[in-house]
Amino acid sequence: MAATVHYPTTNASFLKATLAVTWKDLAAEFRSRELFSAMLVFSLLVILIFNFALELDIATRQTVTAGVLWVTFAFAGTLGLNRSMAVEKDRGCLDGLLLAPVDRAAIYFGKVISNLVFMLIVEAIVVPVYSFLYNVNLFNAGLLLVILLGSIGYIAVGTLLASMAIQARTRDVLLPILLFPVVVPVLIAAVKASEGFLTGSDFSTIYSPLSLLIGYDVIFIAIAFMVFDYVVEE
Amino acid sequence: MFPLDAPPDTSAYMIAGYAVFFIIAAIYIVSLLVRWRNINQDMTTLETIEKENKLKAEKASKPKKQKTAKKK
Amino acid sequence: MQSKPSALKILDVASVLALAVAIYLALIYAPEEATMGQVQRVFYFHIATAWVGMLGFVAAAVAGIAYLRTQNPKWDIAEVAAVEISAVFFFITIVLGSIWARPIWNTWWTWDPRLTTAAITELIYVAYFMLREGVEDPDRRARFGAVYTLIGSLSVPITFFSIRLFRTIHPVVIGSADPSATGTFAMVPGMQVAFFFALFAFTVIFIDLFWNRIRMGQLAAKVEQLKLNLMH
Repeated sequence: MAATVHYPTTNASFLKATLAVTWKDLAAEFRSRELFSAMLVFSLLVILIFNFALELDIATRQTVTAGVLWVTFAFAGTLGLNRSMAVEKDRGCLDGLLLAPVDRAAIYFGKVISNLVFMLIVEAIVVPVYSFLYNVNLFNAGLLLVILLGSIGYIAVGTLLASMAIQARTRDVLLPILLFPVVVPVLIAAVKASEGFLTGSDFSTIYSPLSLLIGYDVIFIAIAFMVFDYVVEE
Repeated sequence: MFPLDAPPDTSAYMIAGYAVFFIIAAIYIVSLLVRWRNINQDMTTLETIEKENKLKAEKASKPKKQKTAKKK
Repeated sequence: MQSKPSALKILDVASVLALAVAIYLALIYAPEEATMGQVQRVFYFHIATAWVGMLGFVAAAVAGIAYLRTQNPKWDIAEVAAVEISAVFFFITIVLGSIWARPIWNTWWTWDPRLTTAAITELIYVAYFMLREGVEDPDRRARFGAVYTLIGSLSVPITFFSIRLFRTIHPVVIGSADPSATGTFAMVPGMQVAFFFALFAFTVIFIDLFWNRIRMGQLAAKVEQLKLNLMH
């Protein structure tokens, strides 16, 4: 209703506020580990289900690995986002944060970083497990870069949409419905780039999807940063 | 170069296509009309309730005036 | 509610007439296409409805940004109207595309960039309405709608290009290598008339529907406001 409020902040205090939000989430999660264990178990189950759903013989595995990984990350990511934002709302932390004299964008970035950390930790475990179960070498610097960039784009949009979804009646179900159609470019580019790195393709073929991924990340972080105020104001 | 064959008879699909267009367009238009009618009905109902509330409010304020008149 | 402005009444009539002429041109005036037969006539309305879908898409994006900048509810009403119309017309586009594809390529669906992007856009629209449904406060509902419209309208073009650049699944082609294999055909002048008139007619139809739907939205907003007032 009112125009968005921007508190006069220096860069240092903005960074401080951002890191404070991030640290709050990480510390809380470190104590309880509920979010993390849920995401991890879920991811491992998804990998297991893929084993039974698809005939992953050695030849197929090569072509399908990138896709299987990204499907797993997409679904596990939703779980993490839902829980992360729901906790804020339920414990009234969000209201408390909003009363603090910090730029709302700092809250956004703080949440993005903590959500990203959770997702990256889960991915850091899933990748070796997949590698082990399917005897595919995934320790590829390029692949890890793609996973990082893809996760950033996913979480940037996901955090914004999750902030809206938890304020709606249909909360849990709503986030994947909102998120998946708009995060399609990330999936397309990430899978293409991942495949490229895994099959050792020429860099010229990988360059295109990789730059799309970076472009998407930049655009959507900028947009989310600008509109986050509208999503949380009372 | 090659002798031209008659084009394949795909008119069934053409009819299906145009039928689909009309059916979906009709459903949409009808839904607009039905919703419009409902909103109008809601409006008249609400306006009636609003009038009744005003009348009740006026009636409620009248008896007080009579009582104070009597006391004097 | 004020009675319908006469300009709108005229537009209603004009839309119906334009549609009638477009149908005549597409079904009777335009010549039959040599390689595909009569089903090619579906193409005129397939493109025209896609055009309306895109008009609605752009209108929604503009309305969303305008709402975020001004907080004026009229932009929210316009945004909902635009999304709704675009959703209906893209749906028609997708079904017509499917019907056209079936006799040409012997498949109901081709994962080509345009059709796939239209399908994803439909899903975004559905998500949009589900989001609005779940929020009770009208002001918050409008804000969320505008934010999601903004995110969606940026994402969709990027999606289109990424499918075009990176997904090289060829449509199933049964039969000889004729021009219809890629869905292209040479447009003779008779077809061009039907094609361009269809675009014109559907533009008129879009404006007519958009205006009508906005009026309905305005009335609905008044009703909701009245309900809130009387509930106290």
